[in-house]
Amino acid sequence: MLDDELLSTHLQELRRGTVVLACLLVLKQPNYGYALLDLLDRSGFAVDANTLYPLLRRLEKQRLLTSDWNTEESRPRKFYRTSDLGAALADALSRDWDELDTALRTLKGGS
Amino acid sequence: MTTTRTLTDRYVEAALSRLPGRQRPDIEKELRASIADAVDDRIDAGDDPAAAELAVLTELGDPVRLAAGYADRPIQLIGPALYLDYTRLLTALLTTVVPAVAAAVGLVGALQGAPALRVAGDTLSAALTTGVHIAVWTTLLFAIIERAAAPHRTPPRPWTPSALPEPPSRRLRYAELITESVALVLGTAFVLLSPLVSTRTDADGAPIGVFSPWLWETGVVYAFIVLLVASLGFSYAKYYLRWSVPLAVTGSLVDIACPVTSIWLAANGKVLNPAFVQAAGWPASVPRWITIGIIAVSALTIVHTVAEGIRRARHR
Repeated sequence: MLDDELLSTHLQELRRGTVVLACLLVLKQPNYGYALLDLLDRSGFAVDANTLYPLLRRLEKQRLLTSDWNTEESRPRKFYRTSDLGAALADALSRDWDELDTALRTLKGGS
Repeated sequence: MTTTRTLTDRYVEAALSRLPGRQRPDIEKELRASIADAVDDRIDAGDDPAAAELAVLTELGDPVRLAAGYADRPIQLIGPALYLDYTRLLTALLTTVVPAVAAAVGLVGALQGAPALRVAGDTLSAALTTGVHIAVWTTLLFAIIERAAAPHRTPPRPWTPSALPEPPSRRLRYAELITESVALVLGTAFVLLSPLVSTRTDADGAPIGVFSPWLWETGVVYAFIVLLVASLGFSYAKYYLRWSVPLAVTGSLVDIACPVTSIWLAANGKVLNPAFVQAAGWPASVPRWITIGIIAVSALTIVHTVAEGIRRARHR
């Protein structure tokens, strides 16, 4: 039988890169940390807060995201937005994902 | 609310204390906002404020881990990129330097006539101290390299099949083995015959050996020959047997014991027979140069043995 730990390890491996792609796609609309976490969760990308928050900063450092502090509301929040570079990466990653999907379908159909 | 605010403060403080100063204000503002957002969300869902705070912080996990994520810092001492180089260097150093030091300490102790138990104790403690030093400093060095900013690191050398262990052609090494055997037999014969056959004789017509009679009186010369024979034995073992740590350690130990003994003997003026030097009428500078020559050749042998040990450990 497939035990839970083995399954979760491999699922984690498989999903690792998809969080970056999801962030780059979702953040074409500016958003802030907690709301993004919630949005990703509801879209089917379960990600831990302690993974997402550092990830956002790393992507910003790589100039894939830009950020602005919104101080208009009572609680100042850092809004992230996908940069042009980030959008280009998202396109490339999406294309790769589609190719993988096609390749997988071919594999499964061919067997 | 006071206690729950304290909990967040303590969490944020713990995370920030591990971050570079210039990043702190920005991360603090964002982290506090994120925690507050999550807490509000739970309170809206009907949670008690204190329980909400506790749940949010528990979910965020160890602040040290979070800080490592923010700082993009490895949470491992030595990562996969360096691990192989680390184990190779450590193995090579431990299998060559530790036996060398142990051999040197043991031999010097034995030659000075210290009690066997003390010699054994000193040798063991020297080996242990050396091993611990090598392990600590090598590990520290690699931990520092691991933490050096990635752009400052040279890209790893690409691996090619040519790096596969390739024993030098067997015939070539067999020739080395033959040379070593012949040299050993000739050298041993020369040393053992030297008190009996000499170019100089004393007043009674008895030959004056070129080597110090002290070597025979103490039996050091026989110990030295035993070492040479053992060293040759290990050359054969290395040629015919597969590389293994015990073989490498003992082989290096024996290989290094000979030059170490030579250095000690030469440095203490125990090699040449003063009577022979006098009878041959050599100027004082000749024994000095012979001493220096013996030390230099022995030192080179040690360096070669260590380098060879490292090479074999890497290519095993």
